[in-house]
Amino acid sequence: MIALIAKREFRTRALSKANLITSAIMVVLVLGGALIAKPFLADDGEPAVVNVDSAIAGDLVPYLEATAQAQDAHVVFESVDAPDTVDVDQDGALGEDIAGLITGPLDAPRLYLAGGDDALTSVVQSATQAAALDSAVEDLGGDAAAVSASLANSVPAVTIVGETNEFNAGQFFSGMVVVILLFFVLIQSASVIMMGVVEEKSSRVVEILLATVKPATLLGGKVLGVGMYSLLQAATMFLPVVFAAWYLDLFGTLDVEVGTLVANFAVWFVLGFALFTILFGGLAALVSRQEDIGAITTPMMFLMMAPLYLAIYLVPNNPDSTISMVLTQVPFFAPFMVPMRSAFGAISTGEVILAVALCVVTIPVLTWIAGRVYAGAVLNTGGRMKLAEAFKRG
Amino acid sequence: MPTLEIDSLAKSYGTVRALDGVSFDVNSGELFGFVGSNGAGKTTTMRIILGVLRGDFGEVRWDGAPVDLDVRKRIGYMPEERGLYPRMKVGEQLVYLARLHGLDAGAAHAAMEHWTEVLGVAERRGDEVEKLSLGNQQRVQLASALVHQPDILVLDEPFSGLDPVAVAVMSDVLRTQADRGVPVIFSSHQLELVERLCDRVGIVKAGRLVASGTIDELRATDQLQWHLTGTMPETWTPDAPGATLTPQGPGVWRVEAESTDAAQAVVASALHHGVVSEFTQVRPTLTDLFQGVVSEEEVAA
Ligand SMILES: Nc1ncnc2c1ncn2[C@@H]1O[C@H](COP(=O)(O)OP(=O)(O)O)[C@@H](O)[C@H]1O
Ligand SMILES: [Mg+2]
Repeated sequence: MIALIAKREFRTRALSKANLITSAIMVVLVLGGALIAKPFLADDGEPAVVNVDSAIAGDLVPYLEATAQAQDAHVVFESVDAPDTVDVDQDGALGEDIAGLITGPLDAPRLYLAGGDDALTSVVQSATQAAALDSAVEDLGGDAAAVSASLANSVPAVTIVGETNEFNAGQFFSGMVVVILLFFVLIQSASVIMMGVVEEKSSRVVEILLATVKPATLLGGKVLGVGMYSLLQAATMFLPVVFAAWYLDLFGTLDVEVGTLVANFAVWFVLGFALFTILFGGLAALVSRQEDIGAITTPMMFLMMAPLYLAIYLVPNNPDSTISMVLTQVPFFAPFMVPMRSAFGAISTGEVILAVALCVVTIPVLTWIAGRVYAGAVLNTGGRMKLAEAFKRG
Repeated sequence: MPTLEIDSLAKSYGTVRALDGVSFDVNSGELFGFVGSNGAGKTTTMRIILGVLRGDFGEVRWDGAPVDLDVRKRIGYMPEERGLYPRMKVGEQLVYLARLHGLDAGAAHAAMEHWTEVLGVAERRGDEVEKLSLGNQQRVQLASALVHQPDILVLDEPFSGLDPVAVAVMSDVLRTQADRGVPVIFSSHQLELVERLCDRVGIVKAGRLVASGTIDELRATDQLQWHLTGTMPETWTPDAPGATLTPQGPGVWRVEAESTDAAQAVVASALHHGVVSEFTQVRPTLTDLFQGVVSEEEVAA
């Protein structure tokens, strides 16, 4: 019975023209964007080619390569017979796809650049300095290799004293992705449920439905069907983005743990979904017409935006402050607080378990209350019904 | 043969006493007409039968046992405020409703095809309900009450808003269902129709069932009436104890009498005073009975 109701809800939402069109547009936009962006981003992947005059190449290239590697510059060096003069006014004088040209003498090399490139300048500067240092050390009869090694070792061991208020962009980004996606998916599902409840009520079809199914079954079927639909929607948003990110190799760049992200999203989607949609499904029965639905959507917006904002503003600056820890254990705040705090690695397993447990305990209580309000209010026509009255009647 | 028993239903909305101890039975195969003025309590009674409303007191039983969800699934219901999913296709909607009542997919589909055919909306199966005319929506609504082969039918004002052709179709369907052995309750303000169609009638007023029975039984409780036409003078007053005469115009009287003998005495006297051209017993229509019952209650109150 409940499966039948859920299936109808899912089908009407998922197969609606509007949904098919927006989903298709989303997928096409994200994937198309990735396909178009790939060649531009891939350009960066090809190493820049720098020609080095064969007269000095043998001495300088090892230093250049070592420095380029140390500085993370993606450059290859090739030994060529450099022309005596370079026409600096002419584009492409260095040759096709050549980023730069280094010519002798070794102690004062000249660097020609095709377009300004600070990274390359710095590589060449460090490399010539290193070469000069080595030759000076050897001239003085020292061991150039030993000097380089001890230079490389003389790095201070850093220990930070006091609070590390360092802002971590990767953690912030992954936390934000989860809570904002969660916010949109939840707000959308809650609206869909509320519209569905009010539609059944205003079209009066609810009376023949309730003659054969219990109010709780009807509400439960709706929540389930819309839940499936919202998951599908989230997947049509989420999967292309993940695919595009993988295709463009963004995960390496941003240093984000996808597994944790998805797990966080999945758990708090289910819990948050149950909390918010059941509550608002029940409350939606209080109104009889689509026009009056604002009376319910306004508190809903508030109840969802408050935890979202608090999670975004409180957590990044101070992930384990007392207020964050308290709000983590409040059921309607938990779906936003926990993913945000765990993105910052600032929540203990015990806290997570307690938060999940509190939500799991809240859900049946909420279901009972919402079911009663729904049952009491859903057949009432006319004006908006008072919450307490609906609860009493249900 | 199972019977649907409605036993002492009571329901108040705040201070409004909508139902005040309504009891009646409907047997299998019986068409029961439920009449009463607006606000008398018909819809409230039907909603309590369907369980969409909880009564304050009383019980509804089917085959001796209280009606539960399993029995309710076997009831076909047409609510006073019609309602279907406006943007769902006729065929899909009927199949869905049949399945909610427990039919499997194949049976639900067959039933949908059957009833859209019988009710003349077969070619609209693929259309969304809101695209249909109100009359056709009403036919789909009836189909939704019948599509699960119900064991009991409860229809709240099924005839309101129907054209004469649809009224005939609806009457036919109700009769056929009753003949199948289904107890059928329906409410209506079209009293001639109720009189013609129903086996038994219940008249409800201010939350109480003030009369119920076959039309003949209801008539039996009323005073006997005759219609008298003749050339008797206007001043004529017969010496007939137990009978009252009311002039209805020149040469026309209505005779109300406790017994046939008293009426015969009136006729005998009339024959002395003029030529009697007509003397017929008036069988009160349901409308007369209804008005009588309603005004009687008002006098009592
Ligand atoms: N939801 C309600 N709230 C308050 N009073 C109601 C409600 N529904 C019905 N009533 C009252 O109950 C009485 C019976 O109504 P109803 O059963 O609809 O009558 P009928 O169907 O015979 O016209 C009326 O006085 C009506 O005003
Ligand atoms: Mg009514």
